[in-house]
Amino acid sequence: MLRRRRWIFSVVAILPVLAIFAYVRVFPITEILRLSVHKWDILSKNKPFIGLSNFRELAGDPLFREALFNTSIIAFGVLIITVPLSLVLAALIFHRTRSRFAGFYETTVFIPHVVSLVPAAMAWKWIFDAQLGPLNALLSVFGVEPKSWLFDPVLSLVCVIVLCSWQALGYCVLIYLVGFKNLPHSLYEAAKLDGASGLQSFRFLSIPMLKPITLYVSVITLVSAFNVYAQVYVLASDAQGAPGRQVRVIVLDMLENAFRNYRVGYAAAEAVILLLIVLFLTLIQFRLLRERRGAA
Amino acid sequence: MTEPHRTRARSKMVALVAGGSVAAFVAAATSVAAQDIRVWSGYPELEPFYAHVAEGMKADHPDLNVTVEAINLRDHERRVALGLTSGEAAEIIEMASALAPRYLENDLYNIAPDEVAAFVTDDANFGAFFEDGASFGGTVYGMPLFRGQSALYYNTDMFAAAGLDGPPTTMADYDTYAEALTQRDASGKPTVSGWSLRLSGGGAGITEKFNINMFQHGGEFLERTEDGKWRAAFANEAGRETLKQYLHNLYTTKTVAADMPADAEAFERGQTAMFIRESWVIGDIAAKAPDLNYATATLPVGSIVSQVNLYVTGEDEAEAAAWDFVMATQEPDNLLWLLENVGWLPNRLGLDYAPIIEKTPAFEAYVQYPDDYGFFTNPNVGPVEEIMARFAAQLERAFADPSLAGDDAAIDAVLAEAAAEIDGILEREGLLAE
Repeated sequence: MLRRRRWIFSVVAILPVLAIFAYVRVFPITEILRLSVHKWDILSKNKPFIGLSNFRELAGDPLFREALFNTSIIAFGVLIITVPLSLVLAALIFHRTRSRFAGFYETTVFIPHVVSLVPAAMAWKWIFDAQLGPLNALLSVFGVEPKSWLFDPVLSLVCVIVLCSWQALGYCVLIYLVGFKNLPHSLYEAAKLDGASGLQSFRFLSIPMLKPITLYVSVITLVSAFNVYAQVYVLASDAQGAPGRQVRVIVLDMLENAFRNYRVGYAAAEAVILLLIVLFLTLIQFRLLRERRGAA
Repeated sequence: MTEPHRTRARSKMVALVAGGSVAAFVAAATSVAAQDIRVWSGYPELEPFYAHVAEGMKADHPDLNVTVEAINLRDHERRVALGLTSGEAAEIIEMASALAPRYLENDLYNIAPDEVAAFVTDDANFGAFFEDGASFGGTVYGMPLFRGQSALYYNTDMFAAAGLDGPPTTMADYDTYAEALTQRDASGKPTVSGWSLRLSGGGAGITEKFNINMFQHGGEFLERTEDGKWRAAFANEAGRETLKQYLHNLYTTKTVAADMPADAEAFERGQTAMFIRESWVIGDIAAKAPDLNYATATLPVGSIVSQVNLYVTGEDEAEAAAWDFVMATQEPDNLLWLLENVGWLPNRLGLDYAPIIEKTPAFEAYVQYPDDYGFFTNPNVGPVEEIMARFAAQLERAFADPSLAGDDAAIDAVLAEAAAEIDGILEREGLLAE
């Protein structure tokens, strides 16, 4: 009887949260799934069912393919840079915890994450400016030819990756620091007694024990990097006549299709593909890290 | 608390409640009398104009509160699409006539009242072109406010230094002038472009600027057939000559580069010698580079005309107040204020521009043009934005490909591929001519 009451209480307690979750998460996703098989121009009351036509058209759409390619490069680029770098930075900061500069290190790394995105992107845009930017000025000191950072198709992607990594780094470092602080000291002391160097402790103790954190950090980084938009919007400008090459990413393409081209169904189909990609990659990451943990 | 104290406190309470009730009633009565309307604009520079119009209405409409919400055009277009469909839009909305049909097909803008329609259809007020642009299916919906029209801006100091005594008059002149005007560093790299072209930035703007140049070569972007349908019309000699000219300046004579500062900002900073733009640049130069020595000139053949109208939504008093405001924008004094202070060209006929031209001669190229000067507009088709953005993406790729320069066959292939893509969009929408 008591067990049943507890169960009922638990369900009742969680219902409001579930209701909110269903309204703000589940409902929009099902609505996107529904819209993706309809043709809708946002203005009309008619939404004819068109089956998988939107998906078929997407498969042959060069702009969507370009957006998908760019987004994937940016997402994996950010993942490859951010996760290892944040792990190393967190380790360095953690091992300097007793330093009087510890707070300074943590703040310095975390600030980019809390700085407002648009002014930060504007600052980076100036840094990358081909004519007036300090980056080219610095490179010229070493005899490197000035580069069109924001116009060259490859370099403009690199610029977006750098900006996104710079922003994501602080959060990842913070999560890793929490992980480091929860690692058992006794193991490190034992390793030290066995003659392990700091580097060896990091390689053979910290990294394996931080795998759950690595999983979390990499999933969060990858998912948010696949949703990249504002950074691209400001950096690789959409502004009239701005000397910058538009880096087409999926979210930008979705917005263009939905609100400028009045093709909401088509944009919804793009959203479904983005959802599937992110789900698939997340599952792979879970599986890989779990398998390795099992093997270890 | 003693009884007298309690009584006094109660009296104070009653007085406070009564006073509060009266104040609330007065406030409510005032709020009933006051009328709030919002204007959504896609041109931030127009905010002072609308404020000026609202100020001028104060005497006759003391209770009218006008809020102007002006943001950049791209965001404005998204806001309108979302706002109108969710019933949260402003009472007065700016919109280009080329974009309006989608909204009018879905009854999202109000029909103009009789007196407004009579004003728009009066030949003394507007030419047929602008009347058509404000109408849909023979019914007037909008008020033609201003237009984007292009002219050449050229830096007279740079022209003099290059030994050029007047603006280019043919498209061939543009090439030779650009070469003469380009300033280079010791390595030959251009530091000041001879002719600033729209090469990047994404969106329909690249296509629009390309179309302006193509018009000078005798071409048009989309062709309308007798049955009212459309097809791509640029995969021909005019299109080839236009794209060839871009590539010639980019890679043969190297008078401009994609990563160089461009557009009005570059002109104002002395980073380009000439470029083609609408009249708002005159106001922008006056504000940002008042010491710049420049002049304007008509284009060799003609110009684009992008008509922007005011549309009204809402009901009852709000709608009536909105139409009053729309009509007030058409006061000659207000329209001349618009030209003089903002730089956008009013559409209304019969305005006396002479004092403004005398003060700012740069406006002359916009209002006094040759008799045979041609005009064209963006195609009035539903998917116009998508079509122009898709072509812009193709152009951007072409501009980045030096191997196309001088290769007519390759240029033709690019144009043919782009035309096929655009015809595909027209076909999807049931608009492709046979």
